[in-house]
Amino acid sequence: MHMADALLSPAVAAVMYASSGTTAGISIHQLKKENNPAQLPTMAVGAALVFAGQMINYTIPGTGSSGHICGGMLLSALLGPQAGFLSMIVILAIQCLFFADGGLMALGANVWNMAFYGCFVGYYLIWRPILRSHWFGDGARAVRLRIIAASVIGCVVTLQLGAFSVVLETSLSGITELPFGAFVALMQPIHLAIGLVEGAVTAAVLCFVYSARPELVREADAAGVSAKGSVKSVVAVLTAVTVLVGGGLSLLASSNPDGLEWALFGNAESGYSENMGLDEEAYGVESAVADKAASLQEGTAFLPDYAFPDSESAAGTTVSGLVGAAMVAIVAAAVCVIGGAYRRKHS
Amino acid sequence: MKTVISFENVNFSYEKSRPVMRNVSFRIQDGEAVGLIGANGAGKSTLMKLLLGLVQGQGRITVDGVTVESANLPQVRRSLGYVLQNSDHQMFMPTVYEDMMFGPLNAMVPREEAERRVDEVLAALDIAELKHRHNHRLSGGEKRMAAIATVLAMAPSAVLMDEPTSALDPYYRRVVIRAIGAMGQTKLIAAHDLDMIWDTCQRVLLLDGGEIVADGPKESILRDKKLLEQHHMELPLRFQNV
Amino acid sequence: MNRMEAALRELGEMDDLAARSSPIHRRHAIAKLLSTVGYIAVVLSFPKYALAALTPMALWPVALFQLSGVPVSTCFRKLRYVLPLVMAVGLFNPLFDRAPLVYLGGVAVSGGVVSMVTLMVKGVLCLMASFLLMATTSIDCLCAALRTLHLPGMVVTLLLLTYRYTGVLTEELAVMTTAYHLRAPGQKGIHVSAWGSFLGQLLLRSMDRARELYDSMVLRGYHGHFHYAPVGPFTGWDGLYLALCLGVFALVRLVDVTGWLGGLLVR
Repeated sequence: MHMADALLSPAVAAVMYASSGTTAGISIHQLKKENNPAQLPTMAVGAALVFAGQMINYTIPGTGSSGHICGGMLLSALLGPQAGFLSMIVILAIQCLFFADGGLMALGANVWNMAFYGCFVGYYLIWRPILRSHWFGDGARAVRLRIIAASVIGCVVTLQLGAFSVVLETSLSGITELPFGAFVALMQPIHLAIGLVEGAVTAAVLCFVYSARPELVREADAAGVSAKGSVKSVVAVLTAVTVLVGGGLSLLASSNPDGLEWALFGNAESGYSENMGLDEEAYGVESAVADKAASLQEGTAFLPDYAFPDSESAAGTTVSGLVGAAMVAIVAAAVCVIGGAYRRKHS
Repeated sequence: MKTVISFENVNFSYEKSRPVMRNVSFRIQDGEAVGLIGANGAGKSTLMKLLLGLVQGQGRITVDGVTVESANLPQVRRSLGYVLQNSDHQMFMPTVYEDMMFGPLNAMVPREEAERRVDEVLAALDIAELKHRHNHRLSGGEKRMAAIATVLAMAPSAVLMDEPTSALDPYYRRVVIRAIGAMGQTKLIAAHDLDMIWDTCQRVLLLDGGEIVADGPKESILRDKKLLEQHHMELPLRFQNV
Repeated sequence: MNRMEAALRELGEMDDLAARSSPIHRRHAIAKLLSTVGYIAVVLSFPKYALAALTPMALWPVALFQLSGVPVSTCFRKLRYVLPLVMAVGLFNPLFDRAPLVYLGGVAVSGGVVSMVTLMVKGVLCLMASFLLMATTSIDCLCAALRTLHLPGMVVTLLLLTYRYTGVLTEELAVMTTAYHLRAPGQKGIHVSAWGSFLGQLLLRSMDRARELYDSMVLRGYHGHFHYAPVGPFTGWDGLYLALCLGVFALVRLVDVTGWLGGLLVR
């Protein structure tokens, strides 16, 4: 679900940076209040573990495909939401900086889509209420079942929210011509399948940890501790997500590990068309900045945006554009030649 | 002779029913090099942890005359340097240089003084070329030498080492043994590598089941085949006629 | 070579590149970070049809590759993560935006095609920019810059510590994966019976590792504060570099350089 820079406009990227940054600031503040100096190495090692652990392929029984762990749920169940959130930020930053998985400008959005929902929504609205409830009765077996339920529901819900955010951010950035509704209709079911698998894998890991070292799993032995409106909030979140997912969408199993990719390619292949009953005009949102940039462009550039140029002048500007681009290429080649000569001299 | 480390009737257990340390008493004088040997699970690591104040037991432990208890821990830990068995756990900063500076700067040593110390230690260990290397790019042997350097940069009065030669190639094992031999500090070295203990220590403590079963000059313990075998150990390779 | 080993190689490769020396490597990390962010922001701000006006922006990474001596091939291997997604999103544009926008020798090119190509070019340019930043700046220099820019110390320290242990744990997991597959030949991934224990075992060991790591920090006097090597000064050259970069980006964004260049030859 890692978004690349090109999928975002600067304004949307900035808003997502601000949102994620604020959440990070609040998390740091709360962690400092807890004043647990041993937390930092645990967060670092936990983050490194999840970074590496996300590369493991888990075979899904009965299919030829594989799934992965869900880092956000796992980390917040072990470290708590604030520490988990910061650890996830660091994982996403390393993936972006060293592996070009997700972009530098898109980091804020990626943190929001993957870490915020996974850690905060997943923990406060799903993990904690479920583990504090009396679902499945008492005893270690009941706790294990609650862990499984919380992991699976948590992964499904947070992935749905994340996938929806990807669609929203891309659409708001004015990047894609794909109608908003159709985009959503493609993303959500695929991430439902991924969420179920990730939830199952994450549950397996957490159950193992619970049986070996129960004290490491947060809220594992907190059954009956009152959490205000706990089950109600779970139901509320579930309803909200069902509404998002709903609309007559069918369950699609994915054989491709990355649903976003699949959604887009799969759609292209099936020749998706406008007859989804969703009007492009109504859903294709354009960002204000893009509009402003466009009007700026109209004043200065040769291709007036959105306007259909009359063929005569268009031909003229196209030629000058092509010639200009060719000259840029010549300059680039010159830079390469000079650079090569310089390096030969200095090596 | 000044006593640097002393244990008086120290007892410890993680779970009540299974004592890990039973009535341990010994003293180590200034400048002594002591080998701590014993089979796996004999209590070597626990003894080190008790000394460093990482776990608390019953009885009295002192370092440089200061009792090891929570109020005195910063002072105790300034006198002790601990080289961990796993250098990766020890070297958490980006570069060797920053790792070496970590201890002195935390002890409020001025930066210039700390810099000077770092260079001295690097020169003494003959690893000046490692100074600006990244910790995660060092070989196993380089990492071990650098880990020793980070501890020496704190100018401790005693150095504790946990398996300093484990998993090293013969060359770096030699290098580390030479470095240990050249260190003037009081040393307490826990290891299974008895040849290394023979090369670096004068005195040996033999632990078994959390008790000190022998304490004496290395000649009397490391050449006593019967004693060693009784406690699940073997003669150093150099004394085995194979 | 499994995925973890490949990731380790990639990490090492970036380390080696950043350890080289060149006029770009020598620039202050703040100058490089801010110019990269500025570059990406400007590239992203180009409207969706402004393909021609965007082309001069390609000169910056080209010049940087030349000045730093970083191989372009390494960068293009990293496109495998980013490009499929960007291409996929872009592929819809020709389907939905069919109105002809320009004519090339009588052939009408639709707006969708232009915006698709623009999107892909943007994707490649942004990737090259952030790749060049990391290929010429070591992680500690970057973190020093982030600290100077007043990012919270906790995040920066966490980033450095995590980076340090990423290598350690990835290596351990690589060995575990190899060990698993040697005893389970023919299995593509981890079997469902080992889903929990495979990573769970490492997780338990890692928590002990974190404990030992914390002990080693405390034993050397840690009390919640990290001291890092002082950063080199931000020189006049760094300032000049940053100003020049940002100035050129602004110029290319505000003035249609391509059109102007073309206008010199074609009237």
